[in-house]
Amino acid sequence: MRQAAILVDVTRCTGCNKCVDACVNANQLGDPKHIPQQEPDGLSVHRWLAITESPEGSFVRKSCRHCLSAACVSACPVGAMYRSPEGIVLYDQDKCMGCRYCMMACPFGIPRYEWDSATPVVGKCFLCSERLAEGKLPACVETCPEDVLTFGERSDLLAIAHERIAQSPEKYLPTVFGEFEAGGTALLYISNVPLDFLGFNGATGDEPYPELTWNWLEKFPVVTLGTAALMTGLFWIIGRRMQADAGRKQHTNQSSEVK
Amino acid sequence: MNDTLRTWIKDGLWAIVFAAAVAAVIRFGAGLGAGSGLNDATPWGLWIAFKLGFVALAGGGFTLAAVVYVFHLERFRPILRRAILMALLGYGSFIVSLIFDLGLPWHIYMPIISWQHHSVMFEIAWCVMLYFSVLVLEFSPAILEHPLFKHRFFQIILHGLHKATLPLVILGIVLSTLHQSSLGSLFLIMPHRVHPLWYSPWLPYLFFTSAIAAGMMALVVEGFLVERWFKRGMHFDLLERLGAWVPLPLGLYLLLRLSDLFLRGVLPSALDGSWQSVLFLTEILVCGILPIGLLAVKKVRESREGLLTSAILIIMGILSQRMSLSMFTMRQSTGLDYSPSLAETLIAFGIPAAAILVYLFFAENLTLLGERLPEPQNARAGFDPLKKIIQDTPGRAVAARRSGLATFVVALMLPALLYYPASAKNPSINPVQPALGWETLRIDGNQTGYIVAFPHAEHQERLTEGLGSKESACAACHHLNYPDDEATSCSQCHTDYYRPAFIFGHTLHQQSLGGNVSCTECHTTEHVRQSAAICQDCHETMTAQEGESVFNPFASSYKDAMHGRCLNCHEQKAVELDKPELALCSTCHTYYESNQLQTSLP
Repeated sequence: MRQAAILVDVTRCTGCNKCVDACVNANQLGDPKHIPQQEPDGLSVHRWLAITESPEGSFVRKSCRHCLSAACVSACPVGAMYRSPEGIVLYDQDKCMGCRYCMMACPFGIPRYEWDSATPVVGKCFLCSERLAEGKLPACVETCPEDVLTFGERSDLLAIAHERIAQSPEKYLPTVFGEFEAGGTALLYISNVPLDFLGFNGATGDEPYPELTWNWLEKFPVVTLGTAALMTGLFWIIGRRMQADAGRKQHTNQSSEVK
Repeated sequence: MNDTLRTWIKDGLWAIVFAAAVAAVIRFGAGLGAGSGLNDATPWGLWIAFKLGFVALAGGGFTLAAVVYVFHLERFRPILRRAILMALLGYGSFIVSLIFDLGLPWHIYMPIISWQHHSVMFEIAWCVMLYFSVLVLEFSPAILEHPLFKHRFFQIILHGLHKATLPLVILGIVLSTLHQSSLGSLFLIMPHRVHPLWYSPWLPYLFFTSAIAAGMMALVVEGFLVERWFKRGMHFDLLERLGAWVPLPLGLYLLLRLSDLFLRGVLPSALDGSWQSVLFLTEILVCGILPIGLLAVKKVRESREGLLTSAILIIMGILSQRMSLSMFTMRQSTGLDYSPSLAETLIAFGIPAAAILVYLFFAENLTLLGERLPEPQNARAGFDPLKKIIQDTPGRAVAARRSGLATFVVALMLPALLYYPASAKNPSINPVQPALGWETLRIDGNQTGYIVAFPHAEHQERLTEGLGSKESACAACHHLNYPDDEATSCSQCHTDYYRPAFIFGHTLHQQSLGGNVSCTECHTTEHVRQSAAICQDCHETMTAQEGESVFNPFASSYKDAMHGRCLNCHEQKAVELDKPELALCSTCHTYYESNQLQTSLP
């Protein structure tokens, strides 16, 4: 699989939260009925998947988008956030320093932190990569009773999404959310309500986020060598001119003495 | 400035450091949630803002090194060593602050072994590591010149360091250039968080130019402070030259910032009257253009007040840019507020306080301000009770004074130490949260971690009706609470899980009917509930609904209350959509075995 992905059909979701329970159980995030919510959106380090409500009252899944070029992966200074060969954004807590740059960089505000622990880690959806390795579906996809979620190769799912929109254009908005946003995401949404509140609001842009910093970072070798060369050059030139000045003065003094 | 004042200032700084040490125990003992106000919506806060400030003020180090060594302006040498020390302390503060800020600070070495060159933070980690080492090497001659290190071994090192000065200086300039600008580029990847008036694709250039200006002006302010403290070492003529040149980097910074905003069409929002626009205009006009104008006038620049005022304005402007960018104007993407906690603030201020103490220690003991200071006299002017007790040994007197101070501060902080971890151990459990608007709250009344949807408006309405006034309706729940509780638990009223419960403000009735003499108003024969008058006897409009007890028209059973939230809609939808499974008990009660299928449908 080149790019694992999930298609979310918002119109089908009844908000039963079974996917959330399944996620909590599969990833051993603690008591499924215990909801230590820190934020109105329901995501926390113990809750990697949440059903939020859109302003129109629709139930919408909120979780990691597994961006094709993920801001968090490029932001992490130690490679603790990384992409698996299947295109899943994974996290290695043995490398993590806890700088929380991934949380700041994520355009969708997904990664959460274990604030109440003295040895905190980052929490977010890992697309059940361990279950995938065993040949199972992600827990949320397997559980969903309303067939909201479809798991598969991203290109296949995009085709399905466009097909569904084409078949009932009166039911869906004519966009596959996540197709292009922030360079494209592995979580694709088709919906009857706008998903601005999830971060698909145009402000994100279609440019991959890592480009924003890479545009500057790629200049690093030039800046390094340039500054070093400039400083050495200035040191040498100014030094020589001062030496010449001093020599000339000395020469003038000597010649006046001769006279 | 006399010795008493100096002692008091030092004691004040030590007090902040001790208090920060107590806060550090909370931070490392109970985690970031207890030690700071940071949260999932705002994972970076005061500490990052301060770190950006430390590094900006350290900009004088590489600027002065360039001036003296690269540009051969030897006359600035008298203040070079101070500039290096400022940079050393600035970067030292950065690193110490980082240890508090990192969630797992013992992984701080990770960037060395696990490279990720696409990350700005990775470059910053390396630049800080290398530049701090360079600064230590650049400053160590000042330490090795101390008579304590007159052994031949140290002299060989000193000699070697002198030889390596130029390469070190150039390496330092390169690393500073990279690091100062990289701190700006940290924020390039978060256009969704940074306010448009502070965001710019040119942030690296803005940070670099403004760091030069801030570093130069930090040296000016430092010169004035040093003169007040030590009565020497100011070199006003040199500071005046710094004042004459600072419009160059500062002007460049302002020009870049304004032209970028103009070119991207953001500039008009600076005039929209929001507090952000006022802050932005203050940064640009009062703390940028005004001091440039002041410094352009020779007479102002050469007056002490004029130079100091301009320097302070410039520093404030640049610190404001750093703090606004990283903290004040961050857009809240999740609607959760951030305000620094007490422990967080103490740590943030404790670090620069410690840096100032280190500065004073070096200035007192090394040849920092020209020649070394004379040994301190034993006689200390002013009132100092400890001096009388231990007169011969000033070192011990100071130690005694400090440990006394430490004990006092720690004792003062102890309540905070005990309170903070308890309350902030799990900041994610908040008893009351707005969820679906004000009418319905998500509450965790029993503080067990289980949150239920609580129809607040409905409760308010029914209680007002039942108890007669809005005030008593509020009090019915909110005055029953436990310490640190914001509302009472549901079971206070819904006492019986399965049967409608009795909710009757007995005390309230007793009071309004005249206290103890009033018992017989309701309890005509016996003082038991069964014999009491029913509500309708007095409240004529109150009629019990079918299935409700005459005594308890208000509170349904806990089970009914909960089911009432969900079941109606479920049953309706089950019929409407022809999906009987929606009304199955196991749809919600997931712990039911599938063979125990029950349905609420008749």
